[in-house]
Amino acid sequence: MPEPFFTETQRDALQEISNLAMGMAATGLSELLDAFIELSVPRVRSVAIGEAAQALREMTGLDGEVTAVRQSFRSGIKGEALVICRSGEIADLATLAQGLGGQSPDEAMSEIELAFDIANVVTGACVSSILDQLGATPVFSPPGLIGGGMSLDGVFRPDALTWDMALLIEVNFSLEDQNFRVHLVMLMAQESICIVRDALDALLGET
Amino acid sequence: MPLPVVIADDSLLARKVMTKALPQDWDIEITYATNGREALEAYRAGKASVMFLDLTMPDMTGFQVLETMQHEDLNSFVIVVSADVQPIAQERVRSLGAVAFIAKPVTPETLLPVLKEHGLYA
Repeated sequence: MPEPFFTETQRDALQEISNLAMGMAATGLSELLDAFIELSVPRVRSVAIGEAAQALREMTGLDGEVTAVRQSFRSGIKGEALVICRSGEIADLATLAQGLGGQSPDEAMSEIELAFDIANVVTGACVSSILDQLGATPVFSPPGLIGGGMSLDGVFRPDALTWDMALLIEVNFSLEDQNFRVHLVMLMAQESICIVRDALDALLGET
Repeated sequence: MPLPVVIADDSLLARKVMTKALPQDWDIEITYATNGREALEAYRAGKASVMFLDLTMPDMTGFQVLETMQHEDLNSFVIVVSADVQPIAQERVRSLGAVAFIAKPVTPETLLPVLKEHGLYA
């Protein structure tokens, strides 16, 4: 599928920016989960919001039940960040985190709590770092749960999300003995995507 | 004779930023690699007295490149330039023979002391 909005050079720059952001998020996740996080190359793609669920499925093979947390941000660039994980992987990780954290069973971290913690680290580090590199300082609203154990199509309901464009950033964090992937999606209005594009050009012009 | 230097990174932007951070009067011949396999090929062809190596790359990660080079009698100053700033990542690349670790984005200010420390640039 052709990339509708960015040139190859712009897409490469955004991918490298995401790579730097991912490094910061990994450090936070590593502390949260007390494990070494293996990173891989992030993948970046922009699509119209109506195609977001299908595009994300194609990019990631993400199917079945997911857990999604949303958090909106404001700056020159405004939009909403969605952090999406497989519900099953969150459940496995909650068990692991419980073992590592040495909590007693009644203090066991719930899956939803863990999803919020992960979303907090990923949105806080990734989105802040991406926007910071693009010259914007975001202000975040409190996060909210879209849902646990829901379908990907349920996450991208057009009536619930009022943005034109989705910037899909697939960030792959693996724990050494357990695969766990986090998908970060930044939703924006078209005018904000234009600001992103201009900021990328400015950055490319400097180098 | 110019010093053979390899810059290995899958991102064009990262290769540009790296190139721009190098001292302008450094007498070198740069070979670019866009993945781990190309980096290794350049090393085997004797083009890497110094290698600036990214860790997250497709087609062999920087860790795999370092491991392979170590098996092949590592004969290169490898400086890892990565966004992966977890302390364990830094320990690992050093144990695999990298002489230094620089966090992205690399700048002349972070690079110069490393080059001087290893006698690569006066």
